[in-house]
Amino acid sequence: MGTPSAGQIHRLGRDQLASWVDALLGERKRVFAPVLRRGLRVLRAVERAQDVDFAPGRTRWSPKEFLFPRTETLFSYENRDGVPVLADPPADDVPRILFGVQPCDAAGLVRLDSILLQDPFYARRRELTTVVAIACSEAAPECFCTAVGGSPAGQEGVDVLLAPLETGWVVRALSPKGEALLAPRRGGWETAAAGDWEAALEQAGRVAGSIGRRELPAAWAEKLEQSFADPIWDELARRCVGCSICAYVCPSCSCFDVADEGSDACGSRCRTWDSCSFRLFTQHGSGHNPRATQPARSRQRVLHKFAFYPLQHGGRAMCVGCGRCIRSCPVGMDIHAEVVEVMSGRPEKEAGDVQR
Amino acid sequence: MSSAETAAGPARAAAGTAGPLESPLKPRLMRIVEAWDETPDVRSLRLQPVDDGPPVRWLPGQFGEFSVFGAGEAVFTMANSPSRGEFVECGFRALGKVTWALRDLAVGQVIGYRGPYGNSFPVDSWRGKDLVFIGGGIGTVALRAPLQWVLDHRGDFGEIVVLNGARSVADLCYQKEMPAWAEVPGVHVVRTVDPGGETPGWDGEVGLLPAVFERLGLAPGGRIVVTCGPPVMLHYLFQSLEKLKFPPEDVVTTLENKMKCGLGLCGRCNVGRLFVCVDGPVFTWARMQTLPRDY
Amino acid sequence: MTEPTLQARTETAAPTWKPQIAAIVCNWCTYAGADMAGTTRREYPASVRLLRVPCSGRVNPLFILKAFEQGADGVLVSGCHPGDCHYVQGNYFARRRFAAFRSLLNFLGLDPRRVHFSWISASEGIKWARVVGDVTRAVTEAGPLTDWGRASSPAQVTLPEPPAPRPQPAAAELEAVTGHVRELAASLLREGKVSFVLGWAPGPSPGQTIPAFIQRPEDAATLVFDTHSHADLAAFLAGPRKVSGKVAVLVKACDARAATTLLAEGQLVREDVVLVGVSCPGMWRDDRLAYRCHSCDGEVGALCDFTVSAAGVQPGALPTGAKRATGPDPRDLQNAHLESLPAAQRWAFWQEQFADCVRCYACRAVCPMCYCGSCISEQHRPQWVPTSIDGRGNTAWNLVRAYHLSGRCVGCDECERVCPANIRLDLINRRLALELEQRFDYHAGTDPEGAPPLATFRPDDPQEFIY
Repeated sequence: MGTPSAGQIHRLGRDQLASWVDALLGERKRVFAPVLRRGLRVLRAVERAQDVDFAPGRTRWSPKEFLFPRTETLFSYENRDGVPVLADPPADDVPRILFGVQPCDAAGLVRLDSILLQDPFYARRRELTTVVAIACSEAAPECFCTAVGGSPAGQEGVDVLLAPLETGWVVRALSPKGEALLAPRRGGWETAAAGDWEAALEQAGRVAGSIGRRELPAAWAEKLEQSFADPIWDELARRCVGCSICAYVCPSCSCFDVADEGSDACGSRCRTWDSCSFRLFTQHGSGHNPRATQPARSRQRVLHKFAFYPLQHGGRAMCVGCGRCIRSCPVGMDIHAEVVEVMSGRPEKEAGDVQR
Repeated sequence: MSSAETAAGPARAAAGTAGPLESPLKPRLMRIVEAWDETPDVRSLRLQPVDDGPPVRWLPGQFGEFSVFGAGEAVFTMANSPSRGEFVECGFRALGKVTWALRDLAVGQVIGYRGPYGNSFPVDSWRGKDLVFIGGGIGTVALRAPLQWVLDHRGDFGEIVVLNGARSVADLCYQKEMPAWAEVPGVHVVRTVDPGGETPGWDGEVGLLPAVFERLGLAPGGRIVVTCGPPVMLHYLFQSLEKLKFPPEDVVTTLENKMKCGLGLCGRCNVGRLFVCVDGPVFTWARMQTLPRDY
Repeated sequence: MTEPTLQARTETAAPTWKPQIAAIVCNWCTYAGADMAGTTRREYPASVRLLRVPCSGRVNPLFILKAFEQGADGVLVSGCHPGDCHYVQGNYFARRRFAAFRSLLNFLGLDPRRVHFSWISASEGIKWARVVGDVTRAVTEAGPLTDWGRASSPAQVTLPEPPAPRPQPAAAELEAVTGHVRELAASLLREGKVSFVLGWAPGPSPGQTIPAFIQRPEDAATLVFDTHSHADLAAFLAGPRKVSGKVAVLVKACDARAATTLLAEGQLVREDVVLVGVSCPGMWRDDRLAYRCHSCDGEVGALCDFTVSAAGVQPGALPTGAKRATGPDPRDLQNAHLESLPAAQRWAFWQEQFADCVRCYACRAVCPMCYCGSCISEQHRPQWVPTSIDGRGNTAWNLVRAYHLSGRCVGCDECERVCPANIRLDLINRRLALELEQRFDYHAGTDPEGAPPLATFRPDDPQEFIY
């Protein structure tokens, strides 16, 4: 074992991973990691490594809420003698680590960046955040990262990539932030054996191979855009019930509402998640609604991800294929199948018979 | 800005800067210096910054987010021209939570303003041309800024027709101002109300706006049409314009999609590849024809 | 998000603390009674803030919710004695609503010392003074309300998990039902009796079914019925999700109850829909029988036009003979456990659940009883439900949702199934349904002509909770 240096790949035993998490917590970093809670696998700020669930699989919610909170105070106001006095929310400068997210979630953060980095609140949290992703060792039936340019060992948006081996993990920094996170540990960590990294990638390749859903080529964006008035959308989204689970579990959906909480005497102006699936999202004060029907609202989500956004952002789909919206939809709306159906230009033959 | 590398730029600059951040959605405080009713349900406000900072700047057609603390924000186009920019004016109809709260405020009270946002009317490209302003109901408020601009630079433009319509006489905006517009040489003001909306002694036109417009017999010939009104009015007006062979690139309107942030972030005003708040609100009819019908 | 006033009040919870009590009183009796107390110089604590309404029947329970949300430590609602209502019946309706809402608050673990009801007439100045004294004492004992919208300590509740009363049905039985469903659907479409058949078809995830709208007879072959045919398709019969045209809809026992309630509430025209009852062996959630199915025998009731079982299709709603073994309802066992806990622990339990709510409104979207064109959560003048996804907003939403379903919920538990945050909405609905069953002998979903319990009253309704 030579002197560990930047760029080196390491091999960690199971216990070493846990002690790394504990060490990070000891440095007063905030660590968000998957935990099991009330039957849900969710990302939460953990207090000790033993609470972390390192098993493969997606969390119910994406990590976006740690950068783009469900509700966030933009400023508070107080009426003093008839004149409102505004105050900025307190700063939160604690460095934080998203530990053990999936590569698709990291890619989702890059999509969020392209929209929300203009916002200083988001930008500061983003800068303070280091992303430690775990390469997927299995794919769920709803997964389709490979269909949108991702991979079970995807590196987009990942600062440190962990990949499971038969026993333990390989760990590699992929960005300066990742380097900075690993640097203090390198002395105590074993250098990976020749072939460890390749073995991990091979494993990810096998996972990719198990994803049966077909590619959704970037070149489809323009044709999809032209499908706007196609009656097939009414057909596809007939069963959509108009909740916002799809948008709220999505790692890249970033729409929000701005509303005041409080009275005229005092309160806060808040930014809160919102969704294009809601009727009120686009309804004018006059009652006119450009998206008057649920299928029109459902279409917006698909086209925004696969047409409007890519056509404005260098061809990359806004969707990262995590499959959460499919998994959590009360009526099994399948965004991948919808895109395929619209492109194939024929009505859905069987509700469940999608091309996997 | 879609890759992590380029995106990290501004973020890095912000990091390490301890202390609270200021949201771009935090408004400037403005005092109501005058308030009056245009119609029974349309009210106008005149505002001035509470602070001694620089005056508010904008271009005709740009909009702002006006807010009542405790009620929230609403989007209005600045109703006056920057050429009369010692105040900011807005006009609105009380329809929702914010507009009702705004309506209840009195002169001297303080509200929030942020802006200006969006693009503006291409007034420079109108130089030397004849103009028709067609406003329906509250839509006329959005036309007042470019109209004032044009009146204030009268020599730069040709013949001007202002067609101002509403459901009824009482609902007609800017009745007090219209005589002054009509006094400017080369400005022709036509007032119209929907059939049944006229009062005894009404000396304006009666008829739906698109029909009245057709009756005016204006030929295209390089004439620019500037219009704003409810979706149904625009629908029929565009039919009339098509019939009269007005080129779509010479017809300008503003889209009124619901907005929250004004910065292209909140996603609400998305129409196809565009966001009305940054790519609009001013669109030519020609450009509208390239958009999905999401407005 | 902290409201400064609330924060300030919490901080001043020192020995000098005095409760703030919102007293919502009717104009004709209690307000006059309070006035009487004043003019006769009857002393009572100055802790109450009077809110005058025309009638106790005007008191929407949302007023009580709003009072707590805005910092009240206790609420008193008071009106005319039964029989004395200026509007004849207002207080009778109010009494039923208060019973339901009070039971909801109790179940969620709000300290019962914080909510009070009374009948006080214009001449009862003395009673007013006494009630205000009693209420003030009770609220003072309860202390400042500091945990509205949050859990002050971990609840640490484990709900009992009962064994299932029956095994999974044989695959052959389900396949037989599926076959008959397909045949019936195809023939209804072929004969032009309906323009749609609404059933279940396989979904994108393994073992999942999703609502399917079948238009062509040949597509009927995609329909399935199995132990995951969860969706309550009655949700597509009314309100914003209503499908147009004459439709045949497949209903399980619980879904048939939903259709029955829609009929009772005038949301459904019987002739517009062909109800196809499916003899149900119970729905499975992961590896367990769905809780609602433990006590359900699978019978679809008397309403259906057809009943499908493994034996075939029967016209009308003849008994299918499908009666299944039943056991106690696990929701009741779990609720009994919750109710055996101290109120504060129960409050913490529910606040932990509500804290995970993201306000996706999936609970509303799948509920057959949530057919309002505009939900109260979408109304902003006044803003009854804060839009913020936080403790206060979530508590308000979950309270409002549950209350609006009281006496109407048929227990299909779809809200709970689809909740991405695993909030046990089924338990809340069940508790309220039982309350109304016990109080008013009303069983939602059993009588297409029965008046909903909160839309009617009896002069002798129990009122043991009213001063």
